[in-house]
Amino acid sequence: MSENNIAIRVEHVTTIFPGPVRALDDVSLEVERGEFLVVIGLSGSGKSTLLRCINRLQDPTEGRIWIFGEEMTGAKGDQLRKLRASIGMIFQQFNLVKRHSVMTNVLSGALSRTSLFRSLTMRFSPDEVRRAQACLDRVGLGDRGGSRADALSGGQQQRVAVARALMQDPKLFLADEPVASLDPALRHSVMRHLEVLNREEGLTVVCALHDVDLIQRYATRLIGLRDGRLVYEGEPQGFNAHTFKEIYGEEAEVASGLAWT
Amino acid sequence: MTKGTRRSAWRRVLEPFQVFLIDAGLIGLGILMVELLVIAFSGRRSPTGFLLPAEEILDLLHYGRAALGAALAALVWGRAEGGVAISPGAALIRGVDAAGPPWTRTLRGWFSFLLAEATFFTGWLVTEVQLMQFLTQFDKAQDMIRGLLNPSSAVLHQGLVLLVQTIFLAFMATAFAIPIAFVIAFMAARNLTRGTFWSRSLYTLTRTVMNLTRAVEPLVWALIFISWVGIGPFAGVLALWLHSIAALTKLYSEQIENIDTGPVDAITATGGSMLQVMRYGVVPQVIPPFLSFTIYRWDINVRMSTIIGFVGGGGIGYILKPRVDLGQWGEVGTLVLLIAGTVWAMDILSAKIREKIV
Repeated sequence: MSENNIAIRVEHVTTIFPGPVRALDDVSLEVERGEFLVVIGLSGSGKSTLLRCINRLQDPTEGRIWIFGEEMTGAKGDQLRKLRASIGMIFQQFNLVKRHSVMTNVLSGALSRTSLFRSLTMRFSPDEVRRAQACLDRVGLGDRGGSRADALSGGQQQRVAVARALMQDPKLFLADEPVASLDPALRHSVMRHLEVLNREEGLTVVCALHDVDLIQRYATRLIGLRDGRLVYEGEPQGFNAHTFKEIYGEEAEVASGLAWT
Repeated sequence: MTKGTRRSAWRRVLEPFQVFLIDAGLIGLGILMVELLVIAFSGRRSPTGFLLPAEEILDLLHYGRAALGAALAALVWGRAEGGVAISPGAALIRGVDAAGPPWTRTLRGWFSFLLAEATFFTGWLVTEVQLMQFLTQFDKAQDMIRGLLNPSSAVLHQGLVLLVQTIFLAFMATAFAIPIAFVIAFMAARNLTRGTFWSRSLYTLTRTVMNLTRAVEPLVWALIFISWVGIGPFAGVLALWLHSIAALTKLYSEQIENIDTGPVDAITATGGSMLQVMRYGVVPQVIPPFLSFTIYRWDINVRMSTIIGFVGGGGIGYILKPRVDLGQWGEVGTLVLLIAGTVWAMDILSAKIREKIV
């Protein structure tokens, strides 16, 4: 595997929260370009922390992280912001600015390349507005730019969040349980956009998921976390009832209707 | 990791002192209140034959001895182990088992119960509660109340003019306070100032200064500014302005502390700078509560400016004070009605506006 084929390299990362709680315990992994890596594990197993460490929303206590060969850990100021801008992220709770219009929310994805004065007065260049419109078109919300963000349904809000991340022109996409607070029937409407970005544009995606039924459809590789430790790594095809119990514990049960027995 | 352990090490050193201070304080309070009650009910009289008034009894108490006794008792009690005998300070600082014995079977339970009782009776004595006078002497206030209910029109014109001044005085104080409080509030919000040593110091400094400013009554600020810029409404504007900055900073920063961190994370993740994160992640969330608190503050300032007028800070209070002193209750009634009407109107207005923006 050649070095410049690696999108993310995580080396011995440990994250300790006051308590102390070891949210991540000596996690090392590599993600290749173009992968759709799904992270699974119980709530509190460290999935979110791992994702948040990658773009430094959370600082790891120990260990190092590289993004496309550039070190994320230790980056400061402009350098850190430039690296963050190359990583799109979507969240379980969408995290849109509710009182802003959909358009403004998408435009905020361009903040890292907008001058301070223009961004504080919220006057984006016509060029950026055109790009934002194109991003909205891509997620199928081209006609909703003028709505207030909180007037949209959950699935639509998450698609706005995808458009905001697209606005960053990212090389890497982090998705922290992107569909966990959506109606099951709407989950594919969001996941499909991630799939298109991954398959057609070669974007690397790291996605924390809870629902096992989405894993086989979208993942190209799977890792499992348990109590902050990496306990599983493999193809989604190799994921079965046995490995499920290994990750989720003896008490967990595979939901009915799934083919892994 | 090191930070956490260092902090808990500090806590271990501090704990015994905290426990001792709380215990000694409570016991000392108990001793003094018991002594006060004993003196009061022993029927001791002053040389002129009257029962001792509260402030004279307070003068007689043995504060030094009470402090010494309390300190000794606290030293002993603080060492007590187990759920039944543990001292109140230890219970507060170290915590107690929620499933422990009920308060009726713990030493600190009974101590707290008796302390609460003693506090009530002491309060009754110290504030010289006189139920008989309250219930039987209504007729002495009749004149005044009759005057208030029959407002005289003599002062109506002047009152209206000064009422306008009062409203503007409150408005100017609020308006000048907004931008300053807006900026300081970000420095006084815990969740935005956790980062570095300097930002934490900034938080402590702004909080302290604002709390001190708020602790001083606007009336006192008015006196200060009256000697600074002279008698008149401008002194009142300055007094309310300063107090409003402190009050608004507190309200604003609490709103900032209560924001949803999601949008902050999201804007940070796009590579936004600190100011951009504030503008997009924080400001949109706090604008509605800020507006609502600001209008509320204007409302408060209208009421406060009446009192500030008493000492020469301009506004309607300025003509109210001499009429109260001279007992011109009809004119006082007119002015009070004007103030009450304004406060009532502003209350309705601010409720309506807040309803619309939140």
